[in-house]
Amino acid sequence: MNISYNILVYSVWFMSTYFLVFLLLILFLKRKELFKEKAMPKVIPLVSIIVPAYNEEESIAETIDSLKKVNYEKLEIVVVNDGSKDNTSSIVKKAIAKDPRFTFLDNKNNKGKAACLNQGIKVAKGEFIGCMDADSVIEKDILIKTVPYFQDKKMGAVTVSVEAYKPKRFLDKIIDLEFTLGLSLFLKAFSFLNSVFVTPGPFSIYRKKVLLEIKGFDKDNITEDFEIAFKIHRAGHKIGNCMAAKVFTLVPPSFKQLYVQRRRWYTGSVQTIIKHRDMMLKPKYGAFGFWIPFNYSLIFTGLGLFVYAFYLGFSKLLENINSLRYTNFNIWERLMQWSPDILTFARVNMMATTIFVASIILMFAGLKFARKKYSEKKLGMLGYPFIFILYQIFWIGSIFALLKGGKVKWR
Amino acid sequence: MEMNKGVFVLAFFITLFLLILMLLIGSVMNNKRYTYINTQFEEIYNNFNEMQTFFLMAETFGDEMACIAFEKRLSDMDKSIWTLGLKIDQYRIATEEFLKDEYYLKQKTIFNENQLFYLTLLKRLNERCEYEQGEILFFYKNSADCKRCDDQSYVLTSINNKYDEQLAIFSFDMDLNISTVSLLAEYYNVTEFPCLVIQDKKFCGMKSEEHILAQVCDLNKRISFCS
Repeated sequence: MNISYNILVYSVWFMSTYFLVFLLLILFLKRKELFKEKAMPKVIPLVSIIVPAYNEEESIAETIDSLKKVNYEKLEIVVVNDGSKDNTSSIVKKAIAKDPRFTFLDNKNNKGKAACLNQGIKVAKGEFIGCMDADSVIEKDILIKTVPYFQDKKMGAVTVSVEAYKPKRFLDKIIDLEFTLGLSLFLKAFSFLNSVFVTPGPFSIYRKKVLLEIKGFDKDNITEDFEIAFKIHRAGHKIGNCMAAKVFTLVPPSFKQLYVQRRRWYTGSVQTIIKHRDMMLKPKYGAFGFWIPFNYSLIFTGLGLFVYAFYLGFSKLLENINSLRYTNFNIWERLMQWSPDILTFARVNMMATTIFVASIILMFAGLKFARKKYSEKKLGMLGYPFIFILYQIFWIGSIFALLKGGKVKWR
Repeated sequence: MEMNKGVFVLAFFITLFLLILMLLIGSVMNNKRYTYINTQFEEIYNNFNEMQTFFLMAETFGDEMACIAFEKRLSDMDKSIWTLGLKIDQYRIATEEFLKDEYYLKQKTIFNENQLFYLTLLKRLNERCEYEQGEILFFYKNSADCKRCDDQSYVLTSINNKYDEQLAIFSFDMDLNISTVSLLAEYYNVTEFPCLVIQDKKFCGMKSEEHILAQVCDLNKRISFCS
């Protein structure tokens, strides 16, 4: 083992263990506050929900249906068609007919999600603005649960629990668990540090005054929900999380589309961090300014270790195949020669094992904190510990996309 | 709503504690590796002493009694010597500090010297007691200087596992610059690696299991697996 490999292993081990320990500590210390509900203000404020839609003919009807069921009396909904080439426009027109709460902006040309959201913000009259994806459905009490968070005058936005919509395949179930932990529970943990780094696209609610102050969404950014979180923190506002409120979103229907989605997320996040690099490690931005560089340092050193370990493992595999050549490929005999000996287990392997075990502990504890039954998530739990391998592959693709300098498209 | 800074500090100390624990477990495992190797060496020294006694007994009381006693000891010795050689290498890989460790270098040197002693004794007793045991000498260097040495070692392990009782395999690390081992290499004119000496005949370069066994049988037809 050479020294650079050992330095990588020790760095990744320390950072990831610190991260896991920290998350577990926060969740344990704040366990009573995770689902704590807040009371509605005496004067019910008007809320506008904006739904940009591009080629969403398969899902938009269900999205509108869920919006119609929302049990909040002062609600307006603005659906913005982003120049769809399919039947989105006609489906929306039919679905919202005779419902005075809906406004439909039917753009003939495609402008992009962020531009549509900004267009919706301009016409929205609500004091608070919910932004929702057209491939998602919300629970009817989502506003009753989230609006009370804005009684804190510094609250600029509130995120909710994101879950996969009717996950069927094995991969869907892994992504569902990933959302339950990563986009719900961990964001809640980060909200205790005022370090929520994303306001997820499926549904997040904003104070309109703050949106106007930060000039809405950046239409040139492919991860506008990530970038706006930076602008909210920059403007000195908070982002909260309401775990009790839920949005269900469709997961990509194929592995290729999942890769395209993640490449967009990862590439967009790097571009956002570069754009807002002046916020990093500045005491003015509190824990947020610390966690972002910490997380991305961990991601990149982890990626370096993954590539290095893959190279070493692959070389070893080639060596073994090569040596098998001289014994007529008698693999069975080779397996029989193997005698387990704990003392041949190197310290670096021990460290990798502890990280793996710690992430499994975090998964079990996380589900407990998120009030989920293990039996409901058992398939996702089987695959979740290995999703990190998939992340690395997605990250490698994203880095290539970034280095190539080509424009990563929204879809 | 915000967390106290104490949580950052507490998480740091818990992580530090876990790191120290990991390092301690690593040290305990290192000690266990040393203990294992030392115990194995002690056992081999005892066997060497016993063999020397057998040799003296053969000189004094005649061959018959000493040869019977020595035959049993012989098969045990082959296995433990080869296993110890493998363990030293496996533990060296498992312990990153091991490679530069004085301990490792010292043990490996002693191990090589002992093998040479055992080889000499074996040759003399083979002659005297007319055993049907074959011998293979394996000269190697580190994998950076000798790309095929690890492959050759794997092939020899496979042979040793199958024909442990009929074959004695000795491995000599040429990187250690042991004068007696260098003398042996010079005697057989070993200049490239990996290099095998089968029944006193040199075969340099990577050799397959099939080739080695064919040569062993060609050079020593009395070995039981050859018939």
